[in-house]
Amino acid sequence: MKKKQKKIKNINQKSFYFEEYLKTNKKSKFSKKDDNLQDRIYLLFFFFLSLVLVFSIKITHLSLSKTPSFNQEIRSSNFTLIRRDITDRNGILISRNINSSHAAVVPKLVKNKKNFIIKLRLNFPELPINKIEEKLNVGKYFYLKKRIDQFERKKFRALGEKSIKFESFQARMYTHGNLFNHDVVGQVDYDNYGISGVEKYFDRELKDKKLLKTPLRLTLDTNIQYIVSKELNKAITTFKATGGGALLMDVHSGDILSLVSLPNFNINKRLTIKDKKYTNKITKGVYELGSIFKTFTIALALENKLVTSKTIIEDIPRSLKCSIHKISDMKDHPKNLSVEEILIRSSNVGSVILARKIGELKFKEFIKNTKLLKSPELEIEEVGVPHKIKWNKCKLETIAFGHGITTTPLQAASIYSAITNGGKLIRPSLIKDRKREEFKNLISVETSKTINDILRKVVSSKNGTAYFADKNGYYVGGKTGTAEGYGSSKDRVNTFISVFPTNKPKYTLLVMLENPQINKELIYDYRGVKTKAPYNTSGWNSVYAAGKIIEKIGPILAINSDEFTNQYVVEKFN
Amino acid sequence: MFRSKIFISTIIFLIFLITTSLIKNQTRILEKKLYKLNEKITLKEKDINESQLDFYFLTSPAEIDKKVKTLDRNYLPIKNSKIFLSLSNYRSLQERISVINNKDEKKTKEN
Repeated sequence: MKKKQKKIKNINQKSFYFEEYLKTNKKSKFSKKDDNLQDRIYLLFFFFLSLVLVFSIKITHLSLSKTPSFNQEIRSSNFTLIRRDITDRNGILISRNINSSHAAVVPKLVKNKKNFIIKLRLNFPELPINKIEEKLNVGKYFYLKKRIDQFERKKFRALGEKSIKFESFQARMYTHGNLFNHDVVGQVDYDNYGISGVEKYFDRELKDKKLLKTPLRLTLDTNIQYIVSKELNKAITTFKATGGGALLMDVHSGDILSLVSLPNFNINKRLTIKDKKYTNKITKGVYELGSIFKTFTIALALENKLVTSKTIIEDIPRSLKCSIHKISDMKDHPKNLSVEEILIRSSNVGSVILARKIGELKFKEFIKNTKLLKSPELEIEEVGVPHKIKWNKCKLETIAFGHGITTTPLQAASIYSAITNGGKLIRPSLIKDRKREEFKNLISVETSKTINDILRKVVSSKNGTAYFADKNGYYVGGKTGTAEGYGSSKDRVNTFISVFPTNKPKYTLLVMLENPQINKELIYDYRGVKTKAPYNTSGWNSVYAAGKIIEKIGPILAINSDEFTNQYVVEKFN
Repeated sequence: MFRSKIFISTIIFLIFLITTSLIKNQTRILEKKLYKLNEKITLKEKDINESQLDFYFLTSPAEIDKKVKTLDRNYLPIKNSKIFLSLSNYRSLQERISVINNKDEKKTKEN
């Protein structure tokens, strides 16, 4: 039995084992499933733990780091230029954009309108209070004052009115105020669009984002502009002129170093100007420039080899008749005059005789080549349109001495530059960095040299009309022109175009005075004699002003003068 | 084996997670710094712009002319003779003066 039991036990045991085996096998399957689940839970737990860890690290890192929060002031100072600078030829700033603001009102926020108006009236008496009151009643957002400065802003703030808002914008600032004309450098509107001068002509280029950091360089020279402007202003006051203009140009490149037209105004202020006297006299003004044209007549006569500078024109009459017109000279000249003397003495009759020799065709060709009767080509829109001429009976004769033909002073100065620089036509320009063009010859080099010699004699010889421009060392040459206003005998325009140094021409200076008068108190030193002005001709006012200008700009332009150096050596040695 | 794989991949995942967050955080900090530096640059540019504007206004010929008038000193324009275009220009002039001086000395000695 025991054996049996043992057997049974054994059998049982076997079966137990089997069962156990089976059980464990099942268990292991279950446990595997459990383990996987557990692992996943661990993984998830670990994942969340790590996330918590990461965030906690980040939080501690942030709390420990000492990075300051953004400064409000820095944020508000977002300033990027939207318009390029304009500089002169030496890099001196002429105009730049700055941050500015308009003071505006939100009427809905005004608590007490009466108080508001009283405050404005007391602090800003210049404001149009009635209009502001009307606008307040309308209830729409409006500007109190445009383009206010820092002090005005502070003043507005001090009013303690919530309704006053400051609208920021970029204003254009002109560092030299009224030194440069409104129609040369120009002006911009409140939206930064050019409205005149270079600002308008180069509006796109000035707003080009790629070029924002490179300024637009002009040919103008601030220092020279100041001297020219100052001397011209003095001349206008001295001779009680109604206005004036001056132009300094490089004879070879056509670069305009100075362009002054007076009267003018501060271009930092936006003004509505209807008065014609503010028109740019040099580029937009169209004048009959008188005797200045005689140089063209002589140049044409020489170029066509009809005469030489020494050719004597015999029996020049006191006056000539052309149709119903009588052409005569202001002064009595000798009967026989050489060609150069015709220009030196500024003989009208002599010029007419030469013009008749030249003929209408040649004159027409000269006018066509020089584009005298077309608008001048310059980088501004404010240019004049010369009057059209009809080649009737006496046109050639009157044009010979500068009457019956109009042009802008800019064009006249350009032709003078061309005649004196060796004969090459030039194109006046206000832009320093530009493509240089080659133009054809107007006259030959020989004719140009002869003309330079004659122009020098106009200034240096006894019979010349421009003595006051004879400044030692600068070999000034030039031609005077006294003319009545075109179509108005009341107006008078006295002009002097000079070229210096005539031995190697570098610059052309044009000085023009509108309606000058004789200054009875001014005593001139005329060839060593103290005298008062006998005539109201350009020789006694425009030339006088030009002389003063040349004397002062000469050292800046650094004209190397042998004549002066030699004299200085002698002076120093003695 | 299986656990080790999970463990390794978890560790790699965590490393990437942490490094990503760290890099992102650093980038953000750098971006902030860059932004702030750019702001400072624009602020400085604005200051320079305005001070240049002041400089050009204060050194404009009209302003200098005004200031000269307020000073007691009499400023005179420089004579052309005292302006030399180059050093060679100045030296040639000096040489010419010295030649004339020498000649004159010889003459005075002879006399």
